[in-house]
Amino acid sequence: MPPMVQTQKLCKSFRRSDGSMVDAVKGVTFDIEKGEIFSLLGPNGAGKTTLISMISGLLAPTEGDATIGGFSITQQPIEAKKLMGFIPQEIALYPELSARQNLLFFGRMYGLGGKELNRRVDEVLAFIDLADRQKDRIDTFSGGMKRRVNIAVGLLHRPQLIYMDEPTVGIDPQNRRRILDTVKQLRDQFQMTVLYTTHLMEEAQELSDRVGIIDHGEIIALGEQGELTQQVGEEDRIEIGLGNRAVPATYPAELQAQIPGVTRILYTPAEQLAEGSSQSTPARLTAFAKRGRTALPQLIQVLNKDGYEIQSVEVREPDLEAVFLALTGRALRD
Amino acid sequence: MHSILNITRNDLRIFFSQRGNLMGLVALPVLFTLVLGWAFGGNGDNSAPRLRVDLIDQDQSAPSAQFIDDLHRANDALVLCPADNDADDFCQLNGEPLTVERAIARARNEDTEALIVIPAGYAEGMASFAPVQIDFYAAGNPTLPNPVRQSLDVVVQQASSAALTTNVLDAVLQDVTVRIGIDALTQNLRSQFATELYANVQTQFADRPDTVRYVASAGEDAASVDQGFGQSTSGMGAMYVMFTVLGGMAVLQRERAQWTLQRLNSLPVAPWQILAGKMLTYFCLGMLQFLVVFATGLLVGLNYGRNWPALMLVMVAFVLCCTAIAFAIAPRVTNEEQAGGVARLLAMALAPLGGAWWPLEIVPPFMRQIGHLSPVAWAMDAFHDLLFFGGRLTDILPEVGVLLAITILFFGIGVNSFRKLLA
Repeated sequence: MPPMVQTQKLCKSFRRSDGSMVDAVKGVTFDIEKGEIFSLLGPNGAGKTTLISMISGLLAPTEGDATIGGFSITQQPIEAKKLMGFIPQEIALYPELSARQNLLFFGRMYGLGGKELNRRVDEVLAFIDLADRQKDRIDTFSGGMKRRVNIAVGLLHRPQLIYMDEPTVGIDPQNRRRILDTVKQLRDQFQMTVLYTTHLMEEAQELSDRVGIIDHGEIIALGEQGELTQQVGEEDRIEIGLGNRAVPATYPAELQAQIPGVTRILYTPAEQLAEGSSQSTPARLTAFAKRGRTALPQLIQVLNKDGYEIQSVEVREPDLEAVFLALTGRALRD
Repeated sequence: MHSILNITRNDLRIFFSQRGNLMGLVALPVLFTLVLGWAFGGNGDNSAPRLRVDLIDQDQSAPSAQFIDDLHRANDALVLCPADNDADDFCQLNGEPLTVERAIARARNEDTEALIVIPAGYAEGMASFAPVQIDFYAAGNPTLPNPVRQSLDVVVQQASSAALTTNVLDAVLQDVTVRIGIDALTQNLRSQFATELYANVQTQFADRPDTVRYVASAGEDAASVDQGFGQSTSGMGAMYVMFTVLGGMAVLQRERAQWTLQRLNSLPVAPWQILAGKMLTYFCLGMLQFLVVFATGLLVGLNYGRNWPALMLVMVAFVLCCTAIAFAIAPRVTNEEQAGGVARLLAMALAPLGGAWWPLEIVPPFMRQIGHLSPVAWAMDAFHDLLFFGGRLTDILPEVGVLLAITILFFGIGVNSFRKLLA
């Protein structure tokens, strides 16, 4: 069975205001099989939205191409777009119109009409559980409700492929849970293919059949979750939050040498949450060990002896965060 | 086509769902049209124009009476006082006799357009082809055209030609009688012949069809341009069309910020269809804006004549022009606020510059030239041609041509850069 999406060396360069060029996406090639949920996982600014914009036909690639169901997005954009439903990160709805009016408009733009259109609108309103609010204006809705209508627009024409660009940004846990369940339902109940972008490792882990990890415009890892975590071995990860005291560059290596079973220690200095903000993330040490719970007491003992204030401790089994950390030396939230 | 109409219908629905837009589309334009219209003198006098001219006939002869008839024929707007005075005392004589001194004072005070004095001996002078001086008094700049003086020139030229013809033929007749050796005609016969010949030439002049159609374009008819509602409907119409259509720039930027424009681009429709749908929206709103303002003019009794097709053509050309400008500039601004500011700035600058607030006919020539950098000036020229000077469809084609040329230029720019908004 041919893949639903095939990208071939997709590149996108932008000109900065100073005239220099920046490569937002650098030769990305991957396939998405029919009926799978494929997550693009990467930190903010990694190139996820640029990539999804290119394969949805919003941005013309600087180089390369992508096919959707066999149709080239650059050569046959209309045919390719008929197969997809695009759910952008922003609430791309008309706030002055009601939920139903928005759905009717976009439905007509997909070529639907008459009773069929009304039936589909009723269906998606029921699916997102907003049938009772269908006549209310969008600007009276909560963030979560707007997100659900935003998703409904992309489902109206029953596409084979759904693009979802960080659909849970800025919403409460309850609505987030609802959206994640909806994504799974699209695959399990309607056999849709889903391309899901996120910077949240937990979402990618929960939803994905396969994951592509993207950083600085490149896919740095691709495969099923098990395959990816195997790339970093079977080691546990010990996260230790430290106080503000600076750690010398040589200290992680010295610490590792003192504790048997620890294979590697990375240091991440404290970082301001935002420019001008008084709040910051604490400095932390990340240690990798075959048996994390065995190594932990020794680690704490040595750190205490060396006068470091330990603020938090967490032992984690291998996950996508560890994969990203191992491949880039940075945490996803960086 | 279905997609284009669907986009337009949706945009219009959104536009009319916001009550503030109705204020800009209806309430303010109607208010300003009425206020400016009344300020400029309402509908003015829609009856045939009349020019009050004093005429003192000191000769009281048949040729001077002929001269007066010819003046009436040359310009039927002339009311020659006191002879043509009516029951309403249009001549404003108040029952007092009109002496030369009084008439000179009236002309100086601009109570009349001019004074014409036919001197005693006019008939004799014409008969003998001796110089005859017709006195003409008028206030104002003598280098500027004056409709009374132009009429007078026509009649004097006509009378002179008739006298010249008569004298030449009399001399020819004399010469012929000598050459063929017959008795010279008696003075009485010659005089009778000359009188008949003079009358005949005058009749020929009177019956001669006009070969030139006079269309006043400026200057002497400037006073009629400020007929209030004619100026205010066309001016306020043009200005509010700019506000409404250029305001589309801000809406496009808002749509870009809320991602509905990009979402449209992710649908199975071509970018040109999105552009066409959006442009059609603002074309419809621009035409609606013109209709609102011109309907206001109709309600207060403004007479647009029978030139509706030509008026519509000017409106269409101007709205297309504004739409093309809006779509050329929209991708070059960065956000809704900036777009709104640019739209207001352009409308507030181009409207008065182009004569939307006052007629360009009253500004100095260099300002008139600068004003024509604004498309409003071309639209106003065409409206003035149609509303004030009896212009026809063919008369406004140059102005419409300029507006369409600007449209094509900006449309080209807009099409090229519209993709920026969609990505």
